[in-house]
Amino acid sequence: METKTTDEEEVKEAVKLEASEIEYVSYGGEHHLPLIMALVDSELSEPYSIFTYRYFVYLWPQLSFLAFHGGKCVGTVVCKMGEHRNTFRGYIAMLVVIKPYRGRGIATELVTRSIQVMMESGCEEVTLEAEVTNKGALALYGRLGFVRAKRLFRYYLNGVDAFRLKLLFPSPLLHPSLAMVADKDDGNWHNDHIPIEECSEVH
Amino acid sequence: MEAKPPPAAADEASTAVPDGRSSTIPSGENTVWVDVSLLLDAACRDLEDGELIHGDNFNLFAAMSALEIMDPKMDSGMVCKYYSVDEAIENGAAPVPISSDKTVDVRCTIDIMDHLLACEATWHKGHSVSQTVFSCIYLLRTDRTSSHVLLHSYCRIIRATCKAVISVVSDARTHEEEDLFTMSYGLPLSGDGDDKCLSVLNAVEETICRQLRACKAPSSRRKVLEDIEPLQTNLALEEGYCKALLCRLRFRKHFYHVLTCLRRPQGRGLELARKHIASCISELECILSSSEFLRTSASGACEDGLEDKTTASGCQPVGFDANLNSRLSAPTPPRAIQILSWNEAVKYFMRLLHDLDVLCSYSLDSSLESVLHFVVQFQKSQPDLVARAHLQLLLVQDGKLHGRDPVFAVITRAAALPEATRNHDIQKNEFIVQLGQLVINLLKILCTNSAWQRRKLGKIIQDWRVIYLQLEMAFKECGENSNVSNEENSIVKIFQHILVWVEEQTYWIASRFLILGFELELYSPNEYCMVYWYLYVALVKLAEKTHLKMAVTNGAGKRRGKKKRDTPKDVAKDYRIPPAVLFLQCQICLAEGLTMMLAALRNEHGILETRSPFNTEYERFIQHFELLQKASIPDHVSYPSFKESTTYARFSNILMYNYFKDAQRIVKEVKSSFSNEPDKLAELRRLEQVAEHNSIALNVISRVGTLDPSLKVSFEFNHHPYFATAVVKRS
Ligand SMILES: CC(C)(COP(=O)(O)OP(=O)(O)OC[C@H]1O[C@@H](n2cnc3c(N)ncnc32)[C@H](O)[C@@H]1OP(=O)(O)O)[C@@H](O)C(=O)NCCC(=O)NCCS
Repeated sequence: METKTTDEEEVKEAVKLEASEIEYVSYGGEHHLPLIMALVDSELSEPYSIFTYRYFVYLWPQLSFLAFHGGKCVGTVVCKMGEHRNTFRGYIAMLVVIKPYRGRGIATELVTRSIQVMMESGCEEVTLEAEVTNKGALALYGRLGFVRAKRLFRYYLNGVDAFRLKLLFPSPLLHPSLAMVADKDDGNWHNDHIPIEECSEVH
Repeated sequence: MEAKPPPAAADEASTAVPDGRSSTIPSGENTVWVDVSLLLDAACRDLEDGELIHGDNFNLFAAMSALEIMDPKMDSGMVCKYYSVDEAIENGAAPVPISSDKTVDVRCTIDIMDHLLACEATWHKGHSVSQTVFSCIYLLRTDRTSSHVLLHSYCRIIRATCKAVISVVSDARTHEEEDLFTMSYGLPLSGDGDDKCLSVLNAVEETICRQLRACKAPSSRRKVLEDIEPLQTNLALEEGYCKALLCRLRFRKHFYHVLTCLRRPQGRGLELARKHIASCISELECILSSSEFLRTSASGACEDGLEDKTTASGCQPVGFDANLNSRLSAPTPPRAIQILSWNEAVKYFMRLLHDLDVLCSYSLDSSLESVLHFVVQFQKSQPDLVARAHLQLLLVQDGKLHGRDPVFAVITRAAALPEATRNHDIQKNEFIVQLGQLVINLLKILCTNSAWQRRKLGKIIQDWRVIYLQLEMAFKECGENSNVSNEENSIVKIFQHILVWVEEQTYWIASRFLILGFELELYSPNEYCMVYWYLYVALVKLAEKTHLKMAVTNGAGKRRGKKKRDTPKDVAKDYRIPPAVLFLQCQICLAEGLTMMLAALRNEHGILETRSPFNTEYERFIQHFELLQKASIPDHVSYPSFKESTTYARFSNILMYNYFKDAQRIVKEVKSSFSNEPDKLAELRRLEQVAEHNSIALNVISRVGTLDPSLKVSFEFNHHPYFATAVVKRS
């Protein structure tokens, strides 16, 4: 995901709260859509059309989560999953927590829930892209077991490279020589965050 | 998403109605036009919030390509000032002359030149040529400028230059993910008589030279020169403007020469290219120093010079409109792009010229080993696309190395076979032919950007493995059939050499693949241990094969090389070991030392240990090395072997087998063998520094480590790009 450049320091006007005050809910319908859109729109630089949001939340409502604090939506994650070159893989499309609520594990909890569902649904791996400069996101995913599988040259329109991150789930059947990923060339759609290979699947 | 398909309505409902569709399309044999408005209305009333009518091919790509019209973030707008070049011209967006005031006209011409330079650099850096260089209206209609010789000659050389650069990049086909670069549909790239652009430019240069001489001459001599009309009307500015123009024109001329010289076959133009590069650099310097004059003479005409201005004067140039071509630009919706500043553009060209100069210093060595060394060295500074494309065309022309050495000759030399072998009939063997293609392919891949390069290297490792197995089979067959006739014997010998070399080359690729991961920052510190371990195993194999190859050549040690690897200590004592192998030994010591140190830190201090909630270290190992594992590089090496060699690592042991001390010793021994190779000497010095620092760190950790639980150890790349140095801190 391409992110807006923000000064991390200005975030310090943090909110006092207990972890238990945050409520996590799975995507529950059209009334959640404006909340997700407002959040993503405010934090990620690239605009998404409403079709894009609906594409995700209508097809995989079980993979999208929202975090609320006292009725206010403070974070969200949007994902998909599907067959990809003979692998059933999950894909994290958007992840956002608003600034005053960062650094309290909310994003970690949100993605963990999505990944959990992906794992239970039979995904073999989870992928996403992150800007090489997005230290926060890279640290967060690193702690969850994601590996930087490759670097995508000038992936974003702003000329910044991206990492393709991958989380491989353990599999009792996995034998190194049979392992997945028959990688073809990466399609590169300079124009947007979500890579063409994620886009070109037919459902 | 629910599809509600009255099929005829599906297209109408999507945002993209193909244009040109109209009722003039006749009905077919079994079809007839029907008004579906009512049906549509009914369907709309049926739709719930969030539902969508779509065709079968509506996928994420389609969803993301959709624009929400009038959303300021999404809709960059097709509304622009002008809808066509003609309309822009009619409205005076690109007047010829630019001004009836000669001084203003010259000033504006210089601004156009500068902005074009900025556009050109922006293009080279990854934007489309149509939205950058060809945002210049004058360039889109060069015929209009023929009365304005200055502008005209400049536009023509720019156009010819663009064409030359596009041709280099598309011929090299290194354009990787950078396809945008060569996309130039619909642009007037070829003009009549562009081959004459240099003579036109020379004529203009000549005139300005005379004007410059005239204005500098003492007034007594002016009379003689009277027939020379000055460049413009303000005499106080005449000299400054003449000079500013001259360096700009000369830069273009020399740059064009550089491009053509570099394309001469078999590197024959390199020496001359170098001279033109030097001239380019000195003209660029003049261009830079002209900016003060241009800024002061333009003051009043422009806002205060900001850093992001695209011209030396700081003025906005006349005659550009980036929106005119936005529909031609790319397979993506048009976006506004940021043109590099004039300062950045000059910097870009300085760098490009420097890279090209390094290229020209290359001596077209026919030994594959030195070619590979040169390419790796060249890539260290991460040159941009244009320089890399030239590199590739220099290395590979007509399927030959440097357009000169047949691949088989290159292979026999690399495999240390006698000179005469290069004409042997074995080169017609299908696997040998394939091997030749792999070599050419490898050279091309090594010229691409490192992100792309690493991915490609990961894939071709498999090909190298397969060709090895095929050659081995072919070798066995001819071994069985041979009746020890001399001829057959020599075939056996050739195969034998080539096999060893193919393995060596495969391990070279594998280690390059692993090393590039550091440059690309693909490894996080808690993975360093496994990465250094893998690098260690790959380097050991590489050293073994290199040694074997050299031993086979000297006829002495066919058997010796095949025996199990000597420990670094024994090896280093053996004076017969070639320096190239010792060089690798030194890296092996560092890789092994780092592996063990990292493992001990984890085993004894719990440092750099990570527990992920969803997977284990095994999965991360697989993810990083699966391409190597699939190709059995090396054989019998897998996660369990990694665990086996690291689980029991302890500081007490590492101190006993001090790998870093070994590395230091080898460096001392081998230095003198490389006294003529400054690159390698510098590399040895870096390795030595890493060894030295890690050796000290090791001592510190084992002395205070157990007593002080607050010990912090981190790893930095301050002495070497991929061998880390441990930094110990007590908190
Ligand atoms: C990335 C983002 C979602 C993280 O949200 P968050 O709720 O603060 O994340 P968490 O609190 O769960 O962080 C978990 C861990 O990630 C790491 N991390 C998160 N933000 C970090 C930062 N700015 N710098 C360094 N590490 C960071 C830390 O290891 C942190 O653990 P710790 O707090 O115990 O040290 C949030 O910063 C955001 O919305 N950024 C803008 C949008 C974006 O970049 N999205 C991701 C695109 S791929």
